[in-house]
Amino acid sequence: MKRSRFISLAVGLALFCLMSCQRREQESAKGPTVALVVKTLNHPYFIDMQRGAQEAATRLGIHLVVQGAEREVDVEKQMQIVENLIQTKVAAICLAPSGSRELVPAILKANRAGIPVLVLDTRIDPTALREAGGKVVTFIGSDNFEGGKVAGTYIVEKLSGRGNVAVLEGIPGHETGDARRRGFHAVLDQVAGIKVVASQTANWERDQGFNVFQNILQSQPDLQALFACNDLMALGAVEAVAAAGKTGKILVVGFDAVKDGRDAIRQGTMAASVAQYPDEMGRLAVENASRTIRGETVPDEIPVRIGLITKENLGPQ
Amino acid sequence: MMPRNLLALHGRQLGTACGLIGLVTIFWIVTPHFLTISNLLNIAQQTSINAIIAVGMTFVIITGGIDLSVGSIVAFSGVVLASAMQSGVPLFPSILIGLGVGLLCGVTNGALISWGRLPPFIATLGMMSVARGAALLYTEGRPVSGFSPSFRWLSTGEIALIPSPIIVMVVVYAIAHFVLRHTKLGRYTYAIGGNEEAAVLSGVNVKTYKTVVYGLCGSCSGLAAIILTARLNSAQPIAGMMYELDAIAATVIGGTSLMGGEGSVLGTLIGALIMGVLRNGLNIVGVSSFVQQIVIGSVIVAAVLADMALKKQRK
Repeated sequence: MKRSRFISLAVGLALFCLMSCQRREQESAKGPTVALVVKTLNHPYFIDMQRGAQEAATRLGIHLVVQGAEREVDVEKQMQIVENLIQTKVAAICLAPSGSRELVPAILKANRAGIPVLVLDTRIDPTALREAGGKVVTFIGSDNFEGGKVAGTYIVEKLSGRGNVAVLEGIPGHETGDARRRGFHAVLDQVAGIKVVASQTANWERDQGFNVFQNILQSQPDLQALFACNDLMALGAVEAVAAAGKTGKILVVGFDAVKDGRDAIRQGTMAASVAQYPDEMGRLAVENASRTIRGETVPDEIPVRIGLITKENLGPQ
Repeated sequence: MMPRNLLALHGRQLGTACGLIGLVTIFWIVTPHFLTISNLLNIAQQTSINAIIAVGMTFVIITGGIDLSVGSIVAFSGVVLASAMQSGVPLFPSILIGLGVGLLCGVTNGALISWGRLPPFIATLGMMSVARGAALLYTEGRPVSGFSPSFRWLSTGEIALIPSPIIVMVVVYAIAHFVLRHTKLGRYTYAIGGNEEAAVLSGVNVKTYKTVVYGLCGSCSGLAAIILTARLNSAQPIAGMMYELDAIAATVIGGTSLMGGEGSVLGTLIGALIMGVLRNGLNIVGVSSFVQQIVIGSVIVAAVLADMALKKQRK
């Protein structure tokens, strides 16, 4: 009785695995296998990255495996993924690390297995890497700190150097959001006329962006601008602004320029969003992985452009 | 006679073990990279953290309780341990501090449940938030990283080619198995879960023993925090999110009843290994993380269904 149950379960699983396997083989060309490990696959940013990488892989005849943890902040799960990919002896690993120091041991393991690691999106802490004796081929990405500065500069300009500003932070302890916030502060702290009157986390989430910003609006009625460390929080805040009947009176600047963010900018509910180009990062990662596999040298650092999306430079749909 | 006895005693685990062997066989057939020594060690190592937390969870669930705070306790113990080491506290005392924080959180859970008469779900839900907040507050939200090689040995070291987390896991399971089967604490754990009132009436100090069990669970989380911190060479205040669900899943797959009164740590170990094998195997085969979640969820449900069917049959 119980055996049969387990066997049916096992057979079901087997079929499933075989199916997915087969599909994979159909997709794969004869070329080398490159792994792209992102933070998570349930975020438009990383889906764009995957798309860019897949396009390059198809063009170059590379078999691309894309994996990510269920949760963006789950570094241990990402480390497991890297370890497991090492077991499959992929030709190169492109890694968007969930933690700038926490993934160093995983990189060491790849080093020991002779698998080149290309880092994209989030920088690995150079000191931690050096102390551990690990090495990565290159870093491909744009700087979140720079992005924060771009947002800061825009707000200072728009407010003509005077006003009260709020910040919606990312998940506490998360390097990406922290760098954006610090970059933003680096600009604002130089401007005497602008004060950051509230700075709270909304944990990267849209619904929390709404709630938290609604609370901020209650306590800070005289607010001219908001910088949200990602677009989802900015979009939540935009709703809170609308609910308070203040649309157009508060300058909302987001980060990532995701599709919904661009739509909001077009409609004028959001003023601007700092854009990174994850698809370009994905493309460059695969291209340079391919070069590395062929034994060519690649630069230590490959910058990816960063920009500010506003109504003026955003064409019609 | 003897084999039959064994079967009666370990029948449940045998079923679960068959499931594990089935999974291993499937992955072995599907991919050549799965059944290699290095990958098996890899799996055991990856399983160790969840497995150690799940030991404590098994005790708690056998008493008929639940502990939702284990993940947050992992984070809190981890950051306190890490800051202690960075401020120059020697290795051994630091480790005791890490375990102590876990113990303290666990005992608080137990006290709230026993003397505060809170349902375990509520008490530990509160602790889940409090410990997480405490970890964030303590570190101002930043990870604490960079430790001595001797500490990191706890995760990177090997004894006779076996990575140290695996050895820690095996030792913990051996002790837990002994405690549960052969000591008063173990017997009372089952008694409380079987029928709490009857346990009270037969003179078991239920409140104290429950508190001990939750304290034990907290200490297991503290121990897991030590290994996790050594593994990542960093303690993060946001570490361990959702670990409670992984630990509960391992326990339940292993045949421990959420109603309490029955279960075993050996079953839990197999349950944790099933989850580890699934994650690893699906990674290696290249199945997307979305599908992985579906498969893992289905396995949990299937395991409990099989378990319930078994129980019915026995009656």
